[in-house]
Formats: sequence, structure tokens, C-alpha cells
Amino acid sequence: MEERKIDSNRLDVLKELANIGVGNAITSLSQLLSGEKVDMDVPAAFLLPLQDVPASLEGEETAVVGVYIEGKGDVNLTILFVLSLESAANLISALLPGSAGDFDEMGISVLTEVGNILTASYLNAISIMTNLQLLPTPPEVAVDMAGAIISTVLAEARVIDDEIVLLKTSLNTRQTRIEGSILILPDAGALEKIFRILGLT
Amino acid sequence: MISMIVDNTEIVKVKIADMAVLKDNGLIITVGLGSCVGICLYDEISRVGGLAHILLAESQQFKSRDGAVNKAKFADTAIPLLLEKMEKFGGKRSRLRSKIAGGSQLFVFKKTNISVGEKNVETVRRTLKKLNIPVVGEDVGGSHGRTMRLYIDSGRVTISTVGKGEIEI
Repeated sequence: MEERKIDSNRLDVLKELANIGVGNAITSLSQLLSGEKVDMDVPAAFLLPLQDVPASLEGEETAVVGVYIEGKGDVNLTILFVLSLESAANLISALLPGSAGDFDEMGISVLTEVGNILTASYLNAISIMTNLQLLPTPPEVAVDMAGAIISTVLAEARVIDDEIVLLKTSLNTRQTRIEGSILILPDAGALEKIFRILGLT
Repeated sequence: MISMIVDNTEIVKVKIADMAVLKDNGLIITVGLGSCVGICLYDEISRVGGLAHILLAESQQFKSRDGAVNKAKFADTAIPLLLEKMEKFGGKRSRLRSKIAGGSQLFVFKKTNISVGEKNVETVRRTLKKLNIPVVGEDVGGSHGRTMRLYIDSGRVTISTVGKGEIEI
């Protein structure tokens, strides 16, 4: 158990990686929204018992939209972009002029594309900082209970560990009224590699 | 798990990779079953009921690096553990009936033949069969999340889903 403990120094490094990566992703989102300002919180890094991961999203039973992407390559990580139903509808109508923001085929494909763009810019930033090659899998979109989405993501990632590192950033826009969170779950092996490259072993 | 008392009723919330057992009355609830499976066991004579929320199918494939197995996380280890706990509360294996829910596929992955959810349900069924515990109610598969409630006084199990209300299984 001892070796899995992460000190605050390492959590700070992860926060910084999330900060730069998500910062990059948010710039891309702003470009998609014709230059509208996107505000983001300072990313938070948590070391959580597996059981407590679902509660990291407010309202486990609340219906939300989840865009799920895996980053694969030299290291593996899971990215989940979570939006309230209203925010997702606002995002769809902002990008599809004239649309009512429904979660139909077009709406879902808009969300998928946003997931693609956010993740590609996030992974790019990580690759540049760490020199690790990372490619995103095609995004998957689900509209369901927050708790069901996040526990499914944990199961899909086949989590071995009982303590999970979770990076969380919240973002929002004023004009288009989009509020969401980006969650990043690195594999345990990914963290060790990243720390080694950054000289933190 | 988290336990609280509301209107004189004990309500226990089971998290993922978690389980709880109650006797006589109270409510056990687990929220947000996606590909996970919720397993309720109930003995109507002793009125002992238990609920486990498993994340993955088999423990053998996923030992953590220190070799320890979190038994509540896997179908093949969680169900025997739940049975053991129920026997301590006075539940009798030969009288136990089970109801299961979950194992859905929220995200449509094209890469695998069998989804995590399907694999979970299959292993839950196999483990229950091995223990001779019949499945008397179920709501599994599909592509939506579920919340499962077990009422200990009656053994009633309800499932609620987003936008589709509540059903009894």
C-alpha cells in the first residue's frame, strides 16, 4: 500500500499538468464558440477511495451528459467531460445555429466533436510536456445518471486500484451558459511513468 | 456505505464496490448502476436482506499490485461475502432469493464483443447458480442507468431510471 501513496508535491505536479492541458482544451472550446471567453477553475487533484469517486460529481442521480474518451499510447488515461442537460443543449445550439439543442443524432455528433477537440488539445499539451505519445479514442456520449456514467467509466477502465487519482476542472461560459467539468483519471501505471519523466521518483 | 435514520427508518446507502445487510426493517439503496450490477438477497422468513454493488466480474484478473482483493468489487467474491454476512444476521442460504439489476451499456463501444455490463451479469448469474440461490426478479441490460432499492420488511425491490419512473422487480 505504501508505494501508492501520493504526496502533496506529486499532486501539485498533476494539478499543473491538468492546468496546462485543460487550459489548452479550453482555448479550443473558446475558438469553437467564436472567441467567447471560457472561465475555468484551478484544477483540483484528489486521491480518493474508489467508492467515493461517483460522489465527486454533484447529484449522483441527476441526469447529465457524459462524453467519454480514452487517451491511449505510452500511457493510458480516461477523460470524462460532464455537462448538465441544459448546458449540453446550450452547447449544441451554440454550435448548430437554428437547432433546438436536442440530443438527436446531430446533437450527439456535435458533443462528440467537442469531445474530440477538447481531448486532442489536452493530450497534445501532455505529450509536449512529457514527450509521451498519446492518442484519443473516438468519444462516446451518454445521457444518464451521473453516478451510472462515472461508475461505468471506472468499470471500463478496469480499475485495479482501490485508490484513484482524479483531476477535476470546472468550466463555464456566460453568454452561451455552458457549465461543465472535465475529469481525468490516469491509470496507476501512467502516473508512475509521468513522475519518472518529470524526475519525481 | 452510509447509514442514516429518516422518519424512524434506517436507510443505508451502498456505494460502488460495497455492500450492506439489514434485518426486519429499513431500506438499502444503491444509486447509479451503469455497467455495474446490484444484487439483492432476501430471506423472507428471517427478514434479512442484503445488497451488493459490484463493479467488475472476476477477481482473478484484477488483483491489485499488493495482491489484496477488494472482495466487494467483484461478482465472484462479493456474492459469497454477502451470503456470509447474511448468515451472521440469521439468513438461511436455502431460503434466499435474489433480484438483480444493472449491467447496461451506457456507451456504445465498438471494440469489444461482450460489454463489461454483460460480462458482469453473466458472472453474477453463474455465481448465484453455484450457490443455489434462484434469481426471482431482474432488470438488466439495455443502455440506461438504474437506482435499486431493497425494502427489508417485505423484500420488495424497486428500480428507478432517468425519465422512466420506478418499477418493481
